[in-house]
Parts: sequence; C-alpha cells; structure tokens
Amino acid sequence: MVKKSMIEGAPTKDENFTRRYADFETLVDALEYAASGCRGLNFYSARGELDVHASYTEIRDRAKSIGQRLVTLGLKPGDRMALIAETSLDFVCYFLATQYASVLPVPMPLPTSFGGRDSYIQQLERQLLSCGASAVITPDNMKEMVVEAAKSGNYLFVGSDADFNALNLDLSVPVLPKTDDVAYLQYSSGSTRFPHGIAITHKSLLSNCGGIGKIGMNLSDDDRCVSWLPFYHDMGLVGTFLTPLTCQVTVDYLATENFARRPLTWLNLMSRNKGTVSYSPTFGYDICARRVGKDALAKLDLSSWRVAGIGGDMIRPDVMHHFEEVFADAGFKPQAFVPSYGLAETTLAVSFMPLGTGIVTDKVDERILNGELTLEIANQSHSVNGNGANGHANGHSNGHSNGAANGHIFSTAANDEDGMRYRDVVNCGVPLPEFELEIRSDDGQLLPDRAIGKVFVRGQSVMTGYYNDPETTDAVLSKDGWLDTGDMGYMLDGSLYIIGRIKDMIIVNGRNHWPQDIEWAAEQLPGLRNGDIAAVSLPGEGAEEVPAVLVHCRQRDPEERKQFADDIKAKIQQETGVQVRIELVPPRTLPRTSSGKLSRSKARQQFLNGGMMSLLAV
Amino acid sequence: MASDANATNTFETIVGLIEPFNRKNVTITPDTTFQGDLDLDSLTVMDLVAAIEDEYDILIPLNMLPDLETVQQVADAVDKINQEK
Repeated sequence: MVKKSMIEGAPTKDENFTRRYADFETLVDALEYAASGCRGLNFYSARGELDVHASYTEIRDRAKSIGQRLVTLGLKPGDRMALIAETSLDFVCYFLATQYASVLPVPMPLPTSFGGRDSYIQQLERQLLSCGASAVITPDNMKEMVVEAAKSGNYLFVGSDADFNALNLDLSVPVLPKTDDVAYLQYSSGSTRFPHGIAITHKSLLSNCGGIGKIGMNLSDDDRCVSWLPFYHDMGLVGTFLTPLTCQVTVDYLATENFARRPLTWLNLMSRNKGTVSYSPTFGYDICARRVGKDALAKLDLSSWRVAGIGGDMIRPDVMHHFEEVFADAGFKPQAFVPSYGLAETTLAVSFMPLGTGIVTDKVDERILNGELTLEIANQSHSVNGNGANGHANGHSNGHSNGAANGHIFSTAANDEDGMRYRDVVNCGVPLPEFELEIRSDDGQLLPDRAIGKVFVRGQSVMTGYYNDPETTDAVLSKDGWLDTGDMGYMLDGSLYIIGRIKDMIIVNGRNHWPQDIEWAAEQLPGLRNGDIAAVSLPGEGAEEVPAVLVHCRQRDPEERKQFADDIKAKIQQETGVQVRIELVPPRTLPRTSSGKLSRSKARQQFLNGGMMSLLAV
Repeated sequence: MASDANATNTFETIVGLIEPFNRKNVTITPDTTFQGDLDLDSLTVMDLVAAIEDEYDILIPLNMLPDLETVQQVADAVDKINQEK
C-alpha cells in the first residue's frame, strides 16, 4: 500500500490477463482470482488527488490476514460484523476480510449533515441491534459516536483498524464460506426506525455481478470505473465495488461527501483517468449540469465515457437530456446513458438498457398514472389498438426530443394534438437472463404488454430474505421465489418501464425516507392520530422531489394553524432529521383504502390534481 | 483570502458565505441552526461546507458535522482547525 504517491495508482489495463465475469463459487474465489492480476482500487482526496491505492493482490493479502485474526478473536461463521462504510481502503479490506472467517459484514451509514448527532447515533444503534452485530469496525474519527451507539449491546470488539492491530492476535486457519452461505447484509433501503437487513448469498452476489459485468456493461480490457457512490448503498457496494472486483476492473473512488461538496471532481476524474464506466442516480447528473461553468467545461474530456449508468431512483428524462446538452462540448455521448432498474432485494440489478442506445421514452396517458383510468380499462383496451383510452400514445416517442429541464415531476408531460396529457416514461431495459419477470394486477393476474401493474421478479440474485425477520420476508417473497419489488411498471417489447414505487418511499437527493417514520414523528404531537398525516413526496423547485406531509387541520384561527404547522415541522425535524414541507388540509380529506388504511399514493395524486384544498403551507 | 483567525471575523465571514444559501432570508445570529432555522438539506450543506473550506483553505472532517448545530459552533470549529494547521 503506497501512500501519497504521484503515480496514478492501479492501472486500467492488465496485459495477458484473462477476464472472468464473476463465474466463481464465492467472493473469496473471486478475490483470489483478481489478486492474480495487477489491477486494483484507487482512493482520491477531496481535491481529486490520488491519496491511497492498492492492487487486488495487496488487498487480498491484507484481507486474508485480518480474516484469520477475526477467527482468533472468536467470531464464528454467520456472526455479523458492522462496518462504518466510509469510502476507504480500510472498509474494503475489512469487508473482504470477514469472508475469510465466514462472518457477515454489515455496512453502516455515515453522517451527512450539520447537526443531528443524536439521531445519527440512534440510527446506528438500531441497525447494530437489528443485525445482532458481534463486532464493529469504525474509522478512527468516528469512534466516539460508534462507541456510544454500541453501548447497549455485547460486542467482542468495537474500534478502529489501529485498535484491532493493537490486539496482536495470532493468525488462525481461515474459515471459508460455501456458495450458498450468506455473504453480507445490506441495510441500504428500508425504514430507519424499523430497519431490516437484506441477506445476499455468494451465489446470488456472483450471479448478479456476472450479469452486470458481462451483459449490463460488457466490460473489456480498456474499461476503468470511477465512483463516488457510498458503500452503504447497493449501487455503491455491488455496482462499483463488488462487480469491478469480481470482474477484475480498476476503480477510482471519490468519497461521497467530497462529491457532494465538489460534484465536478467526479467528472474531472473521469476526464483525467479516461474513465469508461460510472454510475449515478439522476440527481448526480443534475447537480453537475447545473454547477459546471464555461472554464470547467473547457477542461473536460468525457469522450471515453462508455457506460453512464443511471439507477437508484426514478429516472428523469428531462434532467438527463439537460446533462447531454451541457456536456456535449466535453465529448459526452448521449448513447452512453444506460438506464437500469434494480433493488437491494435482488442484490442490485434487474434490467439494463442495451449498451449504446441511450435514453428511450414511452408516453403514458396521465389519467392512467393518477388513477382516473383504472388498470382494468387499460387492460381491456389492450386489444383495442389505437384507442386513446388504452392510455398510451402510438408506439415510442423519440427519446432525445426533449429539451431543457424545468423541474417538475410531470414536466416531461406534454399536451399532444389530441389534448391529452402524457408523461414520458423511461425504458429501463431488458431483464438480465437470470430473471423471470411478471407484471401482475392487484388480484395477482398476469398482465400483458403495456398494462401497468406490480413488478415481480424471480431469479438467482433474489435475496434469501430479510435477516431475522420472517414476517417482513413473507410479505414480499413467496415460497416459490417470486419477489414483490414494490414497484409499478409495465412491459413493452421485452423492455421494462417503471412508473414509480408502490411503497411510497420518499426519495430526496438519493436518500430514502420512509413515510411511516415521518408520520410516526408527527403523531407524537398531542391531537394528531394515525391517519391524520400522509407523508409523500412533492415536486420541488429543482429537479428533485421534496418530502412533504399532508395533515388534517381542525384549527380555524390562522395564528393557531401557523403554530400547528411549525410544531409539526420541528417535531419531524427533531425525530427524523428530515426537512419536510407541511401542507395543512381539511379534516377527513385524506383518502383511505377499502380496508381502511391510509392511501398515501391516492393522497399525493389528489393533492397534485388540485382535488384537495391546501389551508396553509409551511 | 483567508480572514484573520479572529472569532468575530470568522462568524461574519461565515454569515457572508451562508447568504447565497439563505433562501428563507433568515436573520443569522450566532445561535441560528442549520437544520432547524436555515432549513438546509444535506447536499446544500455540503455545498456550504465546500465554500467555507475554500475560503479558509481547510478541510472540515465529516465526523465533526453532527456536533455543529449552530453558526457560532461552525465558526469556532473553523478557528480551531485553522489554529491546528
């Protein structure tokens, strides 16, 4: 491990090395193979300078040594070890080290904002207890908070890499995993208050990495990955760490917080190192397109960028087209965009747009999307070709015809000649060969092309379940292996189109907020009951959505209303750390399902359609 | 461009750096909080952190952020990092 070196770290190419696309039994086998080549991982500083780098050989050596000492420490196969997931070589080595002890690594999130110390520590504590961790590894500078979060459990070890080395443990014989063993737990998606860890086996992981590397990215000798995605999210962990590792690709990392501070450092790295593969949710592309100035643009060369992956949240065609326009002068090719779809419950990827296609959209009648036209009508009219009531315009629209971003969720909708409003829905590509995919109606019927329904998938990469939580697992995963993704979408000519998340997850700046957490916080105030509050996301000023709550308001006095709204805002902020917009609505206006449960998605639609009066917004 | 490591100046400089992000036009006092009063989301906060870092040519470590609730606390942290440079 060479520090502070001026050379540009692990190389892109490895002459005479035969690439294997993750066709290994376990992650250990994959690492051992990568270690036989000269590629590796490079970590860049906040200012974009190469800070630390290591070849996969060096990483294997260190990981194996740590793993052998984890066995000595007393960790047993299947025990969990939490890792505070900073973007560092230490994290990578400890994640892989656990594999030599058959211990499950559990990546944990980092703080992201000024203030909020207590809620961050509570979040860590809940995740540690949820996975029943036996050990915790933390960066030195996070130790104080981590020790506090770990005070309520029993741990064999809590500390930093330096602390672990100071134990001076002997090397035990490695305890190697088998292909059907669980390889790691992932907490990337899910409620912060009621967390559940997704269990992924070696076989699932390698199947998905192979599909991503071979079919999704078609990796070749000249490929080099650049990433700022956090290791505590599936796209960062699997997409830009485990896939490159198991397919022997060199990666340049920029820490997420440094990307957030200076987004263009990402594109500078791509340019300097001739990066070919990089991934981001929509907002990452958006922020770069909005920040870049003339001078910065003139210095960029993005012509090597072959796979500009998009995933992680809803893909916004207007934002993507804006990025294409802004960076065309830097040589960015629109065909480099690769929309994809996936979720942590399927390891990562389900579908990929064929390479070299770019963004393709299909128009869907907004009446279908906002629930005015039902699935049944859409379904029936499937056979009625060309009838406007089937909710689709004829065929595909031209995916590159849309211009500037203007920042509302339905901004890509347009009034067509027939006076109907349409929304452009992005083609998320073709399912990887390992998956079967079905679109089902509410009552479980298989739906034909173009009919919108729930997306179900089955395949090797589907999780074994939520760790220690059979009830939640059974709710989404059937005995015969079908996973309810929680997303709504439809198929057309073999491609998947995603409409949105049925689970109402609120995604802001790439972070998931679960409505039940936000509602729970508000319900702690006197006078508010379950069902009085619906947490939803609403279009904000920029391209992103903002979290909001719709709240029944019984007060009549304007002053009292203002106080009421301010109190709710403060309470939610205090309990969840989330800044929400408050919309007061008249009592008994929030819609319910037939079983009497609050319907967040209907509430959102009604509010956006103007079907619900706003008494006061804060 | 770095200002004198003088507590009052640091506070005022940081107030100036916050202004472009102060969309709600909050009157900034030493006790103004970033989450509660200024209503800054996590990306905007990082943008502001970058502006402060550039102004003083320092790096504010990520692990310090959760303890910095108010503008004065950030000013004090900047002075402390500057002194240790």
